[in-house]
Amino acid sequence: MHERLSFHIKRDSVLHRLNPLTKLVLTLALIFLAFTFPWYWMPHLLILIAVIPLSLLGKVFREFWLTALKLILPAAGFLFLMQAFFQPIGTDVIFKFYFLDITSESLMFAFKNAMRVFVMVSAFTLFLLTTHPSELMSDLTRRGLPGQFAYVIISTLQIIPQMQAKAQTIISAQRSRGLDTESTFFKRAGSVLPLVGPLVFGSLVEVEERAIAIEARGFTSKHAKTSLHEIPDSDFDKILRWILFALIVFSIGLNLWLS
Amino acid sequence: MAFVNLQNLAYKYPLTKTNALENINLQVREGEFVAVIGPNGAGKSTLCYALAGFVPHFFKGEISGEIEVDGRKSGESTLDEWVLNVGLAFQNPFNQISGAKYTVFEEIAFGLENIGVPRDEMKTRVEEAMSLTGISDLADRSPYSLSGGQQQRVALTSILVMRPRLLVLDEPTSQMDPIGTREVFGVVRRMAEEGMTVVMVEHKMEWIAHFADRVIALKEGQIFLEGTPGDVLTSDVLIENGFGISRYTSVAREAKKQGLWKKEKLPVTLDEAVEGFK
Repeated sequence: MHERLSFHIKRDSVLHRLNPLTKLVLTLALIFLAFTFPWYWMPHLLILIAVIPLSLLGKVFREFWLTALKLILPAAGFLFLMQAFFQPIGTDVIFKFYFLDITSESLMFAFKNAMRVFVMVSAFTLFLLTTHPSELMSDLTRRGLPGQFAYVIISTLQIIPQMQAKAQTIISAQRSRGLDTESTFFKRAGSVLPLVGPLVFGSLVEVEERAIAIEARGFTSKHAKTSLHEIPDSDFDKILRWILFALIVFSIGLNLWLS
Repeated sequence: MAFVNLQNLAYKYPLTKTNALENINLQVREGEFVAVIGPNGAGKSTLCYALAGFVPHFFKGEISGEIEVDGRKSGESTLDEWVLNVGLAFQNPFNQISGAKYTVFEEIAFGLENIGVPRDEMKTRVEEAMSLTGISDLADRSPYSLSGGQQQRVALTSILVMRPRLLVLDEPTSQMDPIGTREVFGVVRRMAEEGMTVVMVEHKMEWIAHFADRVIALKEGQIFLEGTPGDVLTSDVLIENGFGISRYTSVAREAKKQGLWKKEKLPVTLDEAVEGFK
């Protein structure tokens, strides 16, 4: 029992060796390009020339597609259907179902938006697969993000699974004392309190103890912090970040200029 | 001049009516290993928090008297400076895991990162501390995947690695098996030999008798008895006041009533009992 909320897969690849911030900027660049670049086929092109090659470069091709499809297919599919049916544009009706109709324009529109979402989710998936959360946070802390903020993010990723496990223990404990958790809706709703109470109050006590424990280990020390792992940040990283940043600005600018 | 010096210390938690600690006078010399015993609610943990600076800096509440460690007064210091000198590990190991780290090695390095120890020195210190407490083989495991006893060792190591001058331990072996307990006592003894001052709350009387220099018995927030383990842990007053005693002491006590224990002094450890029954 030590699952955690992290997609990260430890591999040795070019993508893994990039600086976490570079990867974050890369992710944002892909998203901005997909959403703002004023050309219909941009999201599709990005998948071909960026997302697929990057998943190979990061040596996470299989894991990437498994995770991405699980996350995207329902969302993008739903979005596609909604927009295809309800987008009131176009006149060229190609499908009719009672009062709902699909025009070729609404179909194209829906397809583009579904692909945009696809790019967004897959860019983030790639980022999470190849970036260790604590590496990202120590890099951001080094660049001036407050340590407390980084701690909250990182510890939440680990503590949520622990709390889920604890909730399960409490449920089992209360059920063994006869608490009804699987009959009618109203009975089950009544069972929530004896489950939530111990979880919430227990967690508050835990928070106090954890605060003492990390304080005892110099958490609020005014010394400049150091980091156990060296985080790569090469000249290549810096140049790449500037190029990507320029691309984002260019894409947004082009969009504004043309509209 | 004592390394640790508590003068007329009294403390009351916020929103409570009675003092958790009252009239505590305690001197500990450098490199001494002091064990603290006492029933639930006697103020053992509060005493630990007071030494480690969390009383009053973290818990607030009303305090009077002096807490002095290494010539510096707690009241005149801030918590983040105080913890550099005084390390605290407590009972529940699960809540001592920072949650910010994914492996035991990183977990132990957490404190050193916070106080800005350079990377190379950090690695050596973490490795040394882990081999000292015998957890080198856990380095790459997730701290959450460990057993309670292993987590307690990690918690202890996380504090030892910071090399405090005063080590405060609140039941650090409560989830350990007998072998683990013995090893931890051994490690703590060794740290004391090397000059670290130790105050440790424990219930395991035999090991206290084996390893500690002095025992403080707390009751209702006050120091009730104080002396060498051999004297304190076998005293009748202790037993009459609801403190636990080692099984060897209780056996010899019964034996004494029936005239089978000839020595004047009761035993605390197995060795002493065997010796006395010969």
